[in-house]
Amino acid sequence: MVYALKDVSVSMNGREVLQSLSCTLQEGKWISVIGHNGAGKSTFAKLIKGLIPSFSGEYTYNQQPLPRDSKGNMRVVPQIGYVFQNPEQQIFETTVYKELAFAQKIKKGHTGDTKAEIESVMHQMGLSSDLLDASPYQLSGGQKRRVAIASVLIADPELLILDEPTAGLDPLSRIALLEEIRAWQRTKNRTVIFISHQMEDVAEYSDEVMIFNRGRLLVQMSANDLFLQHTAFMEQAGLPLPEPVQLLKLIEELSGRIIEPVSCREEDIMQQVRSVWQARGIQHDG
Amino acid sequence: MLVFDQVNYHYRREHPIIQDVSFEVQEGEFVAIVGGNGSGKSTLAKLINGLLLPRKGQVRLNQLNTLQHVDLKKIREQVGLVFQNPEDQFITTTVLDEVVFGLENLRIPREEMMPRVEGALQAVRMEDYLDAMPHQLSGGEKQRVAIAAILAMRPSILVFDEATSMLDPQERKDILEVMRTLHQSGLTIIHITHHMDEILSADRVLLLSNGSIRFDGTPSALFNSVSLTDQLVPPFAVRLHQTLGLDVPLGSDWKETITNLWSMH
Amino acid sequence: MMDKIILGQYADTGSVIHRLDPRTKLLSILAIMISFLLLKTFAGYIATTVLVAGLILTAKLPVVMVFRGLKPILFILSFTFLYHVLLTDGTPLWPGFFLKVTLEGIKNGSFIVWRMILLILLASVLTLTTKPLDLAKGLEKLLKPLSRLGVPVEAFALMIVLAIRFIPTIIQELDRIMLARKARGYDTTYTKGYKKIVAYTSILIPLFVTTIQRAEQLTLAIDARAYGDGRGRTSYKELNFAQVDYVAGGLTLAFVSLILYL
Repeated sequence: MVYALKDVSVSMNGREVLQSLSCTLQEGKWISVIGHNGAGKSTFAKLIKGLIPSFSGEYTYNQQPLPRDSKGNMRVVPQIGYVFQNPEQQIFETTVYKELAFAQKIKKGHTGDTKAEIESVMHQMGLSSDLLDASPYQLSGGQKRRVAIASVLIADPELLILDEPTAGLDPLSRIALLEEIRAWQRTKNRTVIFISHQMEDVAEYSDEVMIFNRGRLLVQMSANDLFLQHTAFMEQAGLPLPEPVQLLKLIEELSGRIIEPVSCREEDIMQQVRSVWQARGIQHDG
Repeated sequence: MLVFDQVNYHYRREHPIIQDVSFEVQEGEFVAIVGGNGSGKSTLAKLINGLLLPRKGQVRLNQLNTLQHVDLKKIREQVGLVFQNPEDQFITTTVLDEVVFGLENLRIPREEMMPRVEGALQAVRMEDYLDAMPHQLSGGEKQRVAIAAILAMRPSILVFDEATSMLDPQERKDILEVMRTLHQSGLTIIHITHHMDEILSADRVLLLSNGSIRFDGTPSALFNSVSLTDQLVPPFAVRLHQTLGLDVPLGSDWKETITNLWSMH
Repeated sequence: MMDKIILGQYADTGSVIHRLDPRTKLLSILAIMISFLLLKTFAGYIATTVLVAGLILTAKLPVVMVFRGLKPILFILSFTFLYHVLLTDGTPLWPGFFLKVTLEGIKNGSFIVWRMILLILLASVLTLTTKPLDLAKGLEKLLKPLSRLGVPVEAFALMIVLAIRFIPTIIQELDRIMLARKARGYDTTYTKGYKKIVAYTSILIPLFVTTIQRAEQLTLAIDARAYGDGRGRTSYKELNFAQVDYVAGGLTLAFVSLILYL
């Protein structure tokens, strides 16, 4: 499956919030969306999901235009999942089971085994099935967040939009959650649109990165190319480089030579830096 | 100046949230409190200025005790609390009204108000926003107004209860900068957070786990403590030092350390 | 839209009327409104119309904006007029016509509608020249003597401020929840009957939960800044009667006496 936008512009209250946007979203990719607040990230996400009724330009799915209602307004795209910021604030059912079964209940012609599907998705999100009969309001913050995400994953979306999914979580829960989402994405070969301010997470998980700046898509390229070769785009958008990349730059500057790591991920950069460091023979004098 | 003495707190007896917590904070200290979601950090913050009262034990501030009802107003005058959500602590409809709100509560005479308001807003660099309304401000700006509203009340301790957790990295940096400046001007700071990079410059760190203090010491001792590795995700600076086999840093600026070490060899 | 709720309909033209103490405005307008109830003569109607027109001009308010305030009650005005035209006893204008329209009816209806329009316009002058918060403050001051009888006037005033502050926030919240609902395949535009009710609960429950959490958080924020019970607070916005307020008060008294005389 391929989602494609061609020359799309969106206006709100007489202001153009997205300007002539063209891009394609390929299957099986983790695509991170970065940029300052108000740069157009959320509008882009809503547009993809079909939550913006009218816009100029073309939006296609596998080269076919997406369905519109009788008034010509864009309809919600059902095969896309959307996890909003603080999704746990949206929970409304009285038990975890009901909350998760909700998507299946309203899906027309759903025939699968709801219970089995729920248990599988809970397992995927690292939730014990003992929680099925618990009230969502009794859960801890991290568990609530997982239930809310699981309630979107249960519909088995082809493409999953995550708007700052780890905001407010402690570091251990944050890493665990991102790992679970990555496992889901990899095993099912799904597309993830990941909106984030944390450049370290972006460098760690992304295949591709889209930078938004003042309502425009500045660039869409692979994370390695962006963070290792074309860092000028980050500067142009006024965004900081991930800390491992900053380290790499510093060591390059100090040693006066170009270091070529395997990827922009922290582990790979650390390995390279360590060998340069050891080659210089720096002793730590305790 | 601030003393927690065997403090216990629970909403329901079966679920203790704070258990036998004792510690002291000296005047002028910068103390960070860390711990996972649900470890009791926020409850601790509310115990400091008597928004919650200990079920057992005492919380004392100089000669005042939160259990004494007559002391409460004085305690709240001295302990300023900045909360997590910038949206939910903006009580009034303009920045000016917001900063004035606390002063009115303290019965400050009107002539004294404006100088205090201006001083407090300057300290957080929001002096140009006197008439701005809450929905015109970003999260970080609202948070700075919240700090100003407390500074105007001239507290001696500032408690930040996960005040940076809903901000983006740039806004977070700005708030940390404000905290450091205030600390240098002599205020005692208690910073509750789960961003590990924010605690490196603290004088002292308390690690809270299931309502008890698991660690009380310097940041470098915390990250050197092997028994706590399952509880903590060390920040990048610490990971870097561990990779290169260096001592855990005392400052937060790893770039400076690396540059110095490199040029020394 | 958020500005609109916080500022109400406030239209800043910086006129003398804008500068009046809110208490002066509240009391004067109240007095004039009561005098309207005593209107009997045609001369009285002319005098009040001149007064209201004079107030609008003095306040330098755009006339279109003032009359826009009448729009929501247009239906009630027409209904009232017809009610009087058709149901007042008297000599039919057109005997034989199937509806009994009387001259007295038209006269009655006209005067009543005239009076209602004047009342609405007068109220608009108040809201267009005074910010909601200043009105709240004025009301608080006027009610102040009641606090000696144990009425929590300060708390009441804070409540009004909080309402003005948080209505836009709650509307934003509602938008957010509805959008998320829609994203989960729950577009209420296409559902009917029982399902529609279920759809509303799915919006209202999260809205209640977040609003209650918000209220708790706010209570903490208010307490943390030593609000106590609000008694004895000083006030930054001191309301002071100026020369112009006494003049306005005097003029109001004179006008009300004139109406009584007419």
